[in-house]
Amino acid sequence: MKYLTIDTTTKVTAVALGEDKRLVGEGFLNTTKTHSERIIPMLDQLLKAADWTLQELNMIGVVRGPGSFTGIRIGIATAQGLAQVLKLPLIAVVSLDALAWAGKGRMEDVVPILDARKNEWYTARYNWTRGAEKAACLTSPQAMPIDKWLEYLKRLDRSICFVGDAAEKAKGRIEEVLGERAVILPEYISLPRGAYAVSAVWQRWQETGEGERVEPYYIRFSEAEVNWAKKEEARRSEGHE
Amino acid sequence: MTESQKSDVVILGIETSCDETSAAVLLNGRDLRSHVISSQITTHQKYGGVVPEIASREHSLHFQPVVQQALDEARLSFRDLSAIAVTYGPGLVGSLLVGVSGAKAMAYAAGVPLIGINHLEAHIYANFLEHQDLKFPLLALLVSGGHTHLILLEAHGQYKVLGHTRDDAAGEALDKVARTLGLGYPGGPQIQRIAQEGNAQAFNFPRAMLEPGSLDFSFSGMKSAVLNALNSARMRGETLSVPDIAASFQQAVVDVLVRKTLHAIKETRVKTLLLAGGVAANRLLRETLDQKLAEKGVCLVYPSPVFCTDNGAMIATAGYYHYLKGDFAPWTLNAIPGLGLV
Ligand SMILES: [Zn+2]
Repeated sequence: MKYLTIDTTTKVTAVALGEDKRLVGEGFLNTTKTHSERIIPMLDQLLKAADWTLQELNMIGVVRGPGSFTGIRIGIATAQGLAQVLKLPLIAVVSLDALAWAGKGRMEDVVPILDARKNEWYTARYNWTRGAEKAACLTSPQAMPIDKWLEYLKRLDRSICFVGDAAEKAKGRIEEVLGERAVILPEYISLPRGAYAVSAVWQRWQETGEGERVEPYYIRFSEAEVNWAKKEEARRSEGHE
Repeated sequence: MTESQKSDVVILGIETSCDETSAAVLLNGRDLRSHVISSQITTHQKYGGVVPEIASREHSLHFQPVVQQALDEARLSFRDLSAIAVTYGPGLVGSLLVGVSGAKAMAYAAGVPLIGINHLEAHIYANFLEHQDLKFPLLALLVSGGHTHLILLEAHGQYKVLGHTRDDAAGEALDKVARTLGLGYPGGPQIQRIAQEGNAQAFNFPRAMLEPGSLDFSFSGMKSAVLNALNSARMRGETLSVPDIAASFQQAVVDVLVRKTLHAIKETRVKTLLLAGGVAANRLLRETLDQKLAEKGVCLVYPSPVFCTDNGAMIATAGYYHYLKGDFAPWTLNAIPGLGLV
């Protein structure tokens, strides 16, 4: 079974080709150009290099967030467009689940952290038990204030392996709180890669066996919605007095 | 192919620049086989205007179904298309990117050319959909929530901007005044509706004509005059008639648009005026222009209301003329939120 995957949930454009559980090829670009400019040319180059055609594909995989709102939508629109024309099933995975594959085989808990701005991370906690098909998700995905999350991890009293686009920048801060119990993997391992998406997509395909309707996974509401809800709440509590 | 011939030019047009997700299938530049518009107006209403992030989220959810519906209604598949045309600017960047990314992937997978369409150009081209024999040179008055332009078209794709707004667009000024009057969003249609019950001579709001001979527009001073009138009435403890204000302000905006347009016609000596953009649906503007232009022997052309607001059919129409010239976009096409006409 041949498929391609797309991950544009961070600044990295990551595309890959997979055949069953095997990674066949991947493209990784971490430059200042936008996803929109890069993604189709990268896919085209990758397919040509692998001597694959679009018509050979059996499935399209996409990472649906959390991450950059715009990036999430570019990835999904692209994957949906391809799947719609080629009449292929679409499979979507969570960015943090995909990143957990960066820590495959680690003994520590694996904690992907993605820059969510506003001093927060999109994060979750995973653990790979020996021989497991996939990482167990111990704390489900959320947008967490950085300090609060680090304090929580400290209280767990476990060793933690950090991956994700926020890891390198937060190295000092993490080590301040967790000391020697923190392991921070280098960026070439810890940024989103096509290889991780391929692993996560293949895993999910085996679980579901069919395509799905894909929607973005933002975690956060838009600011306007949050402000509106606050105003509504204030209005309602005034009414009660 | 079932419903179309090999020699037919079949364009799928896609529009996601603001708050409408729309797709249309157009045969040979004239024959509109399908036209689907999914409007977000009700979603944005409680915020009093378009919220960019929410608009992008809505496009992301509706984009694929809207395109599929357009193809299904046209009884065509991607294989039947000659090209896919998509708006790449101007507009909200997040919204544009949904359409551009999706259209690119579709064109790439279908093996057909991609055409990048300027949204402003498409508004003007909405006129070519319903009017068969427009002869160049043409003058276009483009009025919408984001734009107020007087444009000379010398040939297909050749534009000269004769004048544009220096501050608010006409539609924007109408929206803001509507909001101040508590009429809600979108403002233009609301003002038009309530103005019917008002007296357009009740208030004499200023008509900003700028320096002599200028074809530029300025609406922010006119908008401020309305706000000042409301404020000073409030200080005096009076309330002003909302229908009168709406009618008088609408009249002032239309007066400026018409006067500048007549001036441009005199200078360029064109014989046909194209009206374009959301405000082109305004009845007072149409009727006033109709009457004034008839006196001068100039022909007024405007699209049906459904093709005045943002829609996929106008994108497909503009796309058709790009297709004829072999004017295709590279796979690196990006959204350009501030894209100008020239
Ligand atoms: Zn428009």
